[in-house]
Amino acid sequence: MISMPPSERDLHAYVDHQLNEADRRLVDTWLTTHPEAAAQVRAWQHDAQLLRAALGGALQQPANPELDPALIRQRLKRQSRRHLASAAVLLIAVGIGGFSGWQAREMTLVRSSMLPMTDALQAYRLIAQQGILPADYKVDTDGDMQRWLDRYFTQASRLPDLKSAGFEPVSGRLLSTDEGPAAMVMYEDRSGHKVSFYVRPPGPKNTFLPRGSRSDGDLQADYWSGDGYNYAMVSPTDSPAAKQLKQSMQF
Amino acid sequence: MSEFDEQLREIIPRLRRFAVSLTRNSSSADDLVQASLERALSGWGAKRAEGDVRAWLFAILYRQFLDAHRRSRRYARMLEFFTGRDDAEPSTERTVIAQSTLQAFDRLPTEQRALLLMVSVEGLSYKEIADILDVPTGTVMSRLSRARQALRQLSDGEISSPSLRILK
Repeated sequence: MISMPPSERDLHAYVDHQLNEADRRLVDTWLTTHPEAAAQVRAWQHDAQLLRAALGGALQQPANPELDPALIRQRLKRQSRRHLASAAVLLIAVGIGGFSGWQAREMTLVRSSMLPMTDALQAYRLIAQQGILPADYKVDTDGDMQRWLDRYFTQASRLPDLKSAGFEPVSGRLLSTDEGPAAMVMYEDRSGHKVSFYVRPPGPKNTFLPRGSRSDGDLQADYWSGDGYNYAMVSPTDSPAAKQLKQSMQF
Repeated sequence: MSEFDEQLREIIPRLRRFAVSLTRNSSSADDLVQASLERALSGWGAKRAEGDVRAWLFAILYRQFLDAHRRSRRYARMLEFFTGRDDAEPSTERTVIAQSTLQAFDRLPTEQRALLLMVSVEGLSYKEIADILDVPTGTVMSRLSRARQALRQLSDGEISSPSLRILK
């Protein structure tokens, strides 16, 4: 039982139908003799109604088959079969600015795994193949790319020169990963083939990598460590461009 | 299993709406919903609290959002540090007068949007919301009071704004 006169909290609870029947009647009666409080309550009720109406449409959007529980169960099963570590999620985040400040515009959650430089491969898929994340920076004139990268990773190795394989740096994107801030520089050749250079800190466990390479689906990652960072070059497996690239990079 | 899945299917549109109100972007919202459902349906689901499935899912989604939010804040701070841009300052754009309740709502801080949606639109109980936000019920009440006030002020701006009076 609430005490009279009702507190502001009681009035909120009244608006939200969270009072018991007896209390609700008490407040009802009290409001008839307190026009100012009654107006306040009506304004809150009105706002709530408008909000319900405004957000009602959001329930009508077409179903997204990706969100079906049965499908998600299947995916989870497949994932556990592949022994992917599911604990760590890598968040490839956001642009900033706009009407309400920066916002989670491109929030994409992808799972990372224990295999080296999986995030570099994921970044390649998101940016080069699916075009999900826009570039933060696009090259205007020669040499700008290195300057852009130097603003974020001052001591990192120089960008590899892939001119002999026909590749030029064209754009860059910053990413946030479990291991710390990362940058990906996209190279393209004349026919639009894409390879990426990826750099990030070794992470909280200071995981430095012996030089190596692995393939994952249609992609190949060559990775190494140096100057306090981990690096990867990602390219499509078996493309002539990738072969040429390999030769010119002297891995 | 399938009975539970049916229950989930009915709640998914609500989860998506909650996620949109948090992220303000429908594709990131669906990613968030997907990550939350994965969480809910994986081993973690065993820990499900008794009671309302909707409140339980809202709690998972809200926590996933906060995690992602923290990461993206780090990213935003990093960009800010390097580029010298500060988008946290109120801009002239942001002081433009709200033209509808929805716009007023969109201009509230995330926490207040989440709270008003759960209270006014979803009709969850204060206790359930306290569990979702992991705060005492009293805190929910005082935040609700502030959120309602803020929404009122933003919506009122529309009516009493001098610039709109000039238009009459």
